[in-house]
Amino acid sequence: MNSTPRHVRGWVFALLLALGACASPKISMEGSFPIPLVNQYPVTVGWVLDEELLAFTHSEKVDRGSEWVIKIGTVQQAMFDSLSKGMFKSHVFLKEEKAEPPVTVIFVPSIEELQFSTPAQTRSKYFEVWIKYKFKLLNADGSLRGEFPLTAYGKAHTQNYSLNTTTSALEEATNAACRDAMAFFALQFRTLPPVKTWLDEEGLGG
Amino acid sequence: MSLIVRLAAVALTAAFCGGCVTARVEEIREGHTEMAAGDTIAVLGRRERPSAAETELDFVDCVSKNMGGGDGVSVIPDRTFRDTLFPWFEPRTAPTNTRDLPDLIGHPTFIERLNSLGIKYLVWIEGSTRRTDSAGTMSCTISPAGGGCFGFLTWENDSEYEASIWDIKQRRTVGKVSSDAVGTSYMPALIVPVPIIARVKNSACTSLADQLKIFLTAES
Repeated sequence: MNSTPRHVRGWVFALLLALGACASPKISMEGSFPIPLVNQYPVTVGWVLDEELLAFTHSEKVDRGSEWVIKIGTVQQAMFDSLSKGMFKSHVFLKEEKAEPPVTVIFVPSIEELQFSTPAQTRSKYFEVWIKYKFKLLNADGSLRGEFPLTAYGKAHTQNYSLNTTTSALEEATNAACRDAMAFFALQFRTLPPVKTWLDEEGLGG
Repeated sequence: MSLIVRLAAVALTAAFCGGCVTARVEEIREGHTEMAAGDTIAVLGRRERPSAAETELDFVDCVSKNMGGGDGVSVIPDRTFRDTLFPWFEPRTAPTNTRDLPDLIGHPTFIERLNSLGIKYLVWIEGSTRRTDSAGTMSCTISPAGGGCFGFLTWENDSEYEASIWDIKQRRTVGKVSSDAVGTSYMPALIVPVPIIARVKNSACTSLADQLKIFLTAES
């Protein structure tokens, strides 16, 4: 026998609805990325993706208290794997910052900062995400050749996400920022100062 | 006459007169077009920078589906095209006009992929649907014992879209097709709201897609 009074059940239902509406967004990026369509460099490169990068999570309190969480470390390996498949003859993921031939250089990316804005903050209809990367370029023996920054940006219009707008739009803006980072890396690669010097030494400067 | 009867009369009038959409399509031809067997088009929404304007994804998908349906032309959807030609059609890199095409086509891998897809025309869609007017009030009450709404709302939506058609091989714009649609929606509520929606965006989409099909396949 159900002894819960009808009006109590009604209030519980209304409370659950209200709590659901106030829940703060938590996104964990997943999925794959397209392989860039660019001329491939005939070299083998190494990548060191450290624990900090692979676990990178941005948490921020927005609108007086609700905490928003973006887990972006979960897709870093997929990003750099797809990027390398398009850009280099071959690549390997390394556990330490040194490698044996045929690896000629090693990239060590890190995320220095992630920022996002909501439509309420900017009085627009967009969720926006900025990711600031720093890349170390090392010789195969681990010595530093140089460093370069990379800033990526992505946005998503709320109009495209009628259901579960906040989470979906924030996820899409983050995904767009990841793709932007890949596009920048693929197309500006040869112009980045430490990379240009290395490519010139390899006779690949074009 | 009681208020309830008056509201019912308004709802009935709205049901007969409301939800109507007026659509207008215009076309400007600047070059010859034809689609041979194996030719494909890509329908893309504008979202390059620094413009804040962005065409709705559902509108671009709608035009793609309507152009490709039935005996339509072969269409590659926006996301598939951008992924296949990544990173050349990202907001950072997408060509903004046909003058940018020679730079892109200069990349052998790019043109090779484009040819393998059989892409002959790029259709860029710009525009959006906006609410231009609204009136009325409605109040809703919810309580553990039940709930309901009471009132009357009306709003007008305006869809304005323009499609630019680029010929990849000729590297120039061969024409433009625009679609404007206006419609008024109503929502009377007497306990339960009864939405009488004017499908403005859908009307603009089907009009644009039909005209684009004619533009690309008709002898010119």
